[in-house]
Amino acid sequence: MLTINLFNGLVYGALLIVMCSGLALIYGLRRVVNFAHGSLYMLGAYLGYTIALKTNFWVALVGAPAVMALFGVLLDRYGFRLLQDRDPLTVVLVTFGLLLVIEDFVQTVWGKSNLTVDAPAALSRSVDFFGTPLPAYRLAVVVIGALVALGLTAWLRWSKAGLFVRAASTDPVTTAMQGVNTDALSAGVVGLGTALAGLAGVVAAPFLSLSPSMSSDVIIDSFVVVVIGGLGSLGGAFVAAMVLGMVQALGAVYLPDLSAVLPFVIMVAVLIWKPAGFAGSRT
Amino acid sequence: MTIVRIGLAAVGALAVGGAVAALVGSGTVLSLLTQAVIYAVFASGVGLLLRQNGMVSFGHALYFGLSGYALGIVLQLGWMPAELALVAVLAAIGAVAFVVGLVIVRVPGVAFSMMTLAIGQMLFLTASRSRGLTGGADGMNINWPSTLFGVPQSLLLKPAVLFLVCWCVMVLVVAGLALLLRGRFGAVTEAVRDNEERARFIGLRTLAPRAAIYALSAVIAALGGSLSALNTGFVSPEALHWSVSGVALMMVVVGGYRALWGPPLGAIVYFLFKDVLGDWASHWMAIFGIALITVIVFSPTGLAGALERLLPSRRKRAAAAGRPASAH
Repeated sequence: MLTINLFNGLVYGALLIVMCSGLALIYGLRRVVNFAHGSLYMLGAYLGYTIALKTNFWVALVGAPAVMALFGVLLDRYGFRLLQDRDPLTVVLVTFGLLLVIEDFVQTVWGKSNLTVDAPAALSRSVDFFGTPLPAYRLAVVVIGALVALGLTAWLRWSKAGLFVRAASTDPVTTAMQGVNTDALSAGVVGLGTALAGLAGVVAAPFLSLSPSMSSDVIIDSFVVVVIGGLGSLGGAFVAAMVLGMVQALGAVYLPDLSAVLPFVIMVAVLIWKPAGFAGSRT
Repeated sequence: MTIVRIGLAAVGALAVGGAVAALVGSGTVLSLLTQAVIYAVFASGVGLLLRQNGMVSFGHALYFGLSGYALGIVLQLGWMPAELALVAVLAAIGAVAFVVGLVIVRVPGVAFSMMTLAIGQMLFLTASRSRGLTGGADGMNINWPSTLFGVPQSLLLKPAVLFLVCWCVMVLVVAGLALLLRGRFGAVTEAVRDNEERARFIGLRTLAPRAAIYALSAVIAALGGSLSALNTGFVSPEALHWSVSGVALMMVVVGGYRALWGPPLGAIVYFLFKDVLGDWASHWMAIFGIALITVIVFSPTGLAGALERLLPSRRKRAAAAGRPASAH
């Protein structure tokens, strides 16, 4: 029983890793807390549903994030870039307005009822793990989360673009003076961030059903993760996502009343003690 | 603005409210306007925090709903008469908010906003789960007594009378804030808002004024919540959800937070949008979202700012001349 709960915690943590890395990247480059991130996740999930309906799940897994990436690039070019000299809270409110528009769009196109997406046939079975049967699909989600975490860390650490991203996150003006095209870089990174949100949506669809409330369900948890891990820090977000996933899964079973409030208590405590979060702003 | 001008504006606004109450016959229209005015009071609280402290709170629905719940619980337990309960609840919320404010106003920028979101959601979840105390997700009824301040319930709950009561409260709140903020307190909080470090260098205490503004904004939001409890006789956890705070924030931004009458204007515009967009009613949220984005991008001071720019220049010159004098 404990294994299943730990495993579920791992699965939700993996999902949060994919979600929150996008949020952390967008904050790191553009200093914007993207309130619309949950609705982007939802949009990705619904797009994945439609694509999977026409073709299959694997196409949706690639297609939906691709569409979301394009959307992200446009969002950066015509949204964040034009507003970058404004008060940061102004941009936050713009993303809040965007959230309303996207939620309404999703409800208009896909309706308000819950939709389901089936996991691909190849993964609809159980894998035996030391005597406990685990759903193969959820195992795949954990693998995807791990791949995203490792991939992003490797990219940031060892590639040239990653170096530019780390530099721009630390000091955008000086980085631009060194000859890096920070606008193109930001567009790319925001596109990557929104693609990750879309990927999280597609991946989550088979085991969390699609509903109009899915964006608000996940955005609060994402904020808690990003704040605890440190706004802009990917490593912190990974650790915090895992911790939160575990807390939610174990708490829901063993301490139901407390578990709902615990993430917020931790978040408030972290914000009061260290407003920059545990990892600070180091990528 | 001088005290005389504030007084005249308040009397004028009260007269407008009286005229509306007397002339509008439709109960539904008055009901809608009452709701708008209640949210106008709530939005004034949120707007005050943004205007004087420069802080965005996504959690003021906490105080809006909390006053309803506190009233419900106090009236259920029968500890004190309803009139006293109204005052006591507001005072208690003010005290609690001041203490909370002392802790959380130190957190800078966006972190503050996210913290208010977290605190608001904490209370939302707690209220949704405490079936015993608060009725859980179903909400609780509020047992108002048969007379309030000597006025019988049957008269008080008539649409025109309730609208007039809420309108008067709103006008008094805005006028009261205008009077309060034109003095030293307003100048101090604005100085702290603009540059906290420099304010400290010139010898001002920076924590207490900010916490006081936070507490005041909480009390005003709670006042809106009390009016809402009177209007519907009911309170549910939905009143504590962060989306309610978000709606109030939208009203503040669209109406404009520089002017004290901006948030109430935003509230009225919001409710008009909601009602008037007949066939498009299912999309009004998206349209309001677009309106929000447009206002933020093109007119950061909101509708009130845009309207003020259109006013005759004589008033603007008088205002500009008055400002240096009041900077002492």
